Amino acid sequence: MLVSNSGPDAASRAALRLLVDKLPGLNLIEGGGSSEPPIASDPPVLRSAQIVEGAALRAIKVAGVTRATTSGFGAFLDGTQKVQVIAHSLGLPVVIGTISAAVRVRVNKRLVTWGHQPPRVERAIYLPLRYLTQLSGDAIAAIVAAQWRIIDTSTADRNGEYPSQHPAVLLDRAVRAVDQQREELEDRLAQAWCAIGESPLFIDGGISRTPDVAASTCAVGVIKSHRTLYVEGESLKVVMGLQKGERSSVFRVSPRSRSSVLSWYLRQRSAEGRDALWGLVRVEVAECDRPGERADEISRWVLAETSPLALPDGRWDKMSYGIRDCEEFLRAIS
Amino acid sequence: MSEALGRVVATERKPNTPHEFHFWTAIDSPVGIGTIVRVDGAQPIDGQIPHIYGIIVEGFSYTDLQSPMHDVLGHDGLPTSAGFAATERAEIRLYTAAVLRQIPEEPLQPVPMGQVFLAEEEDVQVALRMDSYLKEGAATGIPVGVYRAGGTDAVIYLDADFLLGPEAAHLNITGVSGLATKTSAVEWLLSSLFTHFPEEKGSIAAVCFNVKGPDLCYLDKPGRIEDTDKTLYEKLGVDPKPFESVQYFAPYTAKGLSLNTFRNNEALLDNVVPLTWGLREVLQFAEVLLNKDDVDAKADALIDFITQNVIDKEFSDPLLSKKHRVQSFADLEAWFRDVLQGMEKKDGESWRTHHVATIRKVRNRLSNISTRCAGLVTDSGAVSDLPFGSFADRTVYVVDVANLEEDAQDLIFARIVSKLREHLERRDLGVKHLVVFVDELNKYAPGDGADTYVRKMLLDIAERGRYLGLVLFSAQQFRSQVHRRVVGNSGTALFGRMDPDELSTPGYTVLSPATKTKLATLEKGQLMIRHPHFTQPIFVRFPRPSVMQGREGAERYPQAGEIGLDVAVLRSLRPLDPGITLPWVQDLIALYTEDEIIRARNATLLARPENVKAYFTAQFRKVIPAQPAARPMATTIKSAPENDPYGF
Repeated sequence: MLVSNSGPDAASRAALRLLVDKLPGLNLIEGGGSSEPPIASDPPVLRSAQIVEGAALRAIKVAGVTRATTSGFGAFLDGTQKVQVIAHSLGLPVVIGTISAAVRVRVNKRLVTWGHQPPRVERAIYLPLRYLTQLSGDAIAAIVAAQWRIIDTSTADRNGEYPSQHPAVLLDRAVRAVDQQREELEDRLAQAWCAIGESPLFIDGGISRTPDVAASTCAVGVIKSHRTLYVEGESLKVVMGLQKGERSSVFRVSPRSRSSVLSWYLRQRSAEGRDALWGLVRVEVAECDRPGERADEISRWVLAETSPLALPDGRWDKMSYGIRDCEEFLRAIS
Repeated sequence: MSEALGRVVATERKPNTPHEFHFWTAIDSPVGIGTIVRVDGAQPIDGQIPHIYGIIVEGFSYTDLQSPMHDVLGHDGLPTSAGFAATERAEIRLYTAAVLRQIPEEPLQPVPMGQVFLAEEEDVQVALRMDSYLKEGAATGIPVGVYRAGGTDAVIYLDADFLLGPEAAHLNITGVSGLATKTSAVEWLLSSLFTHFPEEKGSIAAVCFNVKGPDLCYLDKPGRIEDTDKTLYEKLGVDPKPFESVQYFAPYTAKGLSLNTFRNNEALLDNVVPLTWGLREVLQFAEVLLNKDDVDAKADALIDFITQNVIDKEFSDPLLSKKHRVQSFADLEAWFRDVLQGMEKKDGESWRTHHVATIRKVRNRLSNISTRCAGLVTDSGAVSDLPFGSFADRTVYVVDVANLEEDAQDLIFARIVSKLREHLERRDLGVKHLVVFVDELNKYAPGDGADTYVRKMLLDIAERGRYLGLVLFSAQQFRSQVHRRVVGNSGTALFGRMDPDELSTPGYTVLSPATKTKLATLEKGQLMIRHPHFTQPIFVRFPRPSVMQGREGAERYPQAGEIGLDVAVLRSLRPLDPGITLPWVQDLIALYTEDEIIRARNATLLARPENVKAYFTAQFRKVIPAQPAARPMATTIKSAPENDPYGF
């Protein structure tokens, strides 16, 4: 998933003109950037998980890895999002979010866009409607009529509480909403792929959000960020000490609101002289009968995807080239 | 319409301009340097969708790799492991094209974004502005080759008005030696010219100076043509056959027995004519042969005096022992001898204002000419020349000077070109347009060095010839070293495979590095063309000439070696009368000197009489065969008188 903030593009400028017309007293932000960090992140946590391969978590050398190891992945899925705070109305942030997602299929070693589901790019305006009282219903209808989707960032949460008018809170709401929209877009593509089941799909991120995908043998999620580590105590030491080409034992990840999947850590590159998370990814697959064998097979594929390097992306130690290609593709079209 | 093969792109760093644009294609797209493409603009201008035609002059390929080091790291420094990578990096083929033509032509704007298509045959005609001279009523197109790219085969035409005048004229060919590209291209182009030159524009002929090797010596003999060439000939609308009318001219060897040409095999002599000149012809061009430093104003004045008052006139002077009529070098030598003897007797230092030293110097230099140009210049004054005044349409006249000394080559070149020019000025050459082909311009018209008579003549043709119908087709290895005004006046330029050193000279800076690379690696049979209608050089393929190549001809018709006088006479006369036999020649010439026999042969060849035997025989003086001396009768000794006291 690629997150970017940049100045308004042509579509955003069009939306801006519309809003200026419909929302009196709107203050435009020079360059269309954001004064606050747009990414809301959860605090880093350690969480225990049920080990399904052996009794205790241990480091396992991935068997059968050679230079000639081939990858079984037939396609890559990733999404991007762009958040632009383009204006504010008495401090209330007006945000344009652009989300996109694509599946890139590998044909003769080259990546091309999947023909069954074209890449998707969606834009929306994120407004705290509850507090924008000067925005009439007619104005909202006019914006919608101009093919813009409006997402309210001031709705009540599951506890029935409304967010405060603090601009940072509303911006955080907007960013989370964009994030959620992007995940939904990715999930729709992943479901479509798994429904056809052509070949294994390399998904940037987890697969547990959607039951269909979480249960599909075609979907393999590769997670690069480790805000949540599913190991504690001695197991954490094992994972941090994984050598290049080693994986952890397979464990089960069962988030409360999501589907249960099998997972393991895999060290793609030597972390010697680097931080402990260098080259470390966590892989998610659907539940299966022989998790150890499946983990070895998928690990071989993931390791095979480390070439060519995803440089110059800063996350190249964990990123596969196919995912970088998806992001570059989406950057070009969104 | 074909599918789009690319898209125009432009960035702030690499913007498009009215003369250049960039586009990308699929990796397997059938385009390359020299490919002509068409861009269809998206937005109409004045209600018309713009079409832009361009030729690819540069290509770029790169991946998303930021540093080569990243690739090294990605494969652990092992190139062999690169092949195992699951995915190939994203890669681009980005091309730069030079604009050939924009439609509409006004307003001239930067090339817009749009789809790029491979140019089809009609597109090529429009792109190169050939449509203006291929349309009904114009028809001045002369096929020069076939442009080939991505399945498109398009005939490329030169405009006859810009090749032979009057709009522009002349053609220059450059290329490394040894590939026969230059000679082959000229042979092919002459075939095409003779086939396609419009009848209404008048007659056309060519004079080719064969300055080296046997390449031009078999233009009337069929060559080996491959199927691919036949296809090209068919496409270009030219019959793959040798020239129907060719005449060869060559001087004799120094001994005067056989012709000094690669084409002196007896089987080929029927259209080989001796080239011999006498004093009158040579003296007009004495300047060519005389060293400028040597012949000062005084010597020049004496030569003028001789030309105006002595040659071909009855000349008498109190100083001379007799009247002179000077018609040959031998006569001139006798005249000089008489003048100098007369001056010695008078003990005078000058005669008619000419100092004795000047007279001696001029005598020495002029007498020397017949020695230096032996075989070409005859002492006797016999003349055998090109048919000035009766040149025939679609005929090639080859003057073989390959085996001659430099002086003789210069003299032949200067005199023939001058005569051609004179006749064209008077419009009585026999043809309206004449192509003169000269190879080795590096030698004859160098950019530096002495200002020779030959170079002056070439400059004159290049600058003024087109008004007369005199067109120069020239060739050389190094264009940069030819006089700028000669190559600069050539409206059309052809380039075969080029030497990289030559390509690094300033004259080629207008070409892109990729075009230069292509030029340096051109195959045999490929040319790059510049023509006034083409805004950019175009690459074409031309067929192998349908005439016998020099090497094959030399093998099939070996050059005659040294032969005896009787055989030389037989070979010369037999094309005129096949009934002549060696015994007949031997019987006839047995009593005569070598000079007399050669003179008789030359006179016969020049006259080409009906009855060759009779004419040849008539050239000899009467010789009464010697009779054996009769033994004189001994007179009877008278007997002594009887009363003789001393008698026995």
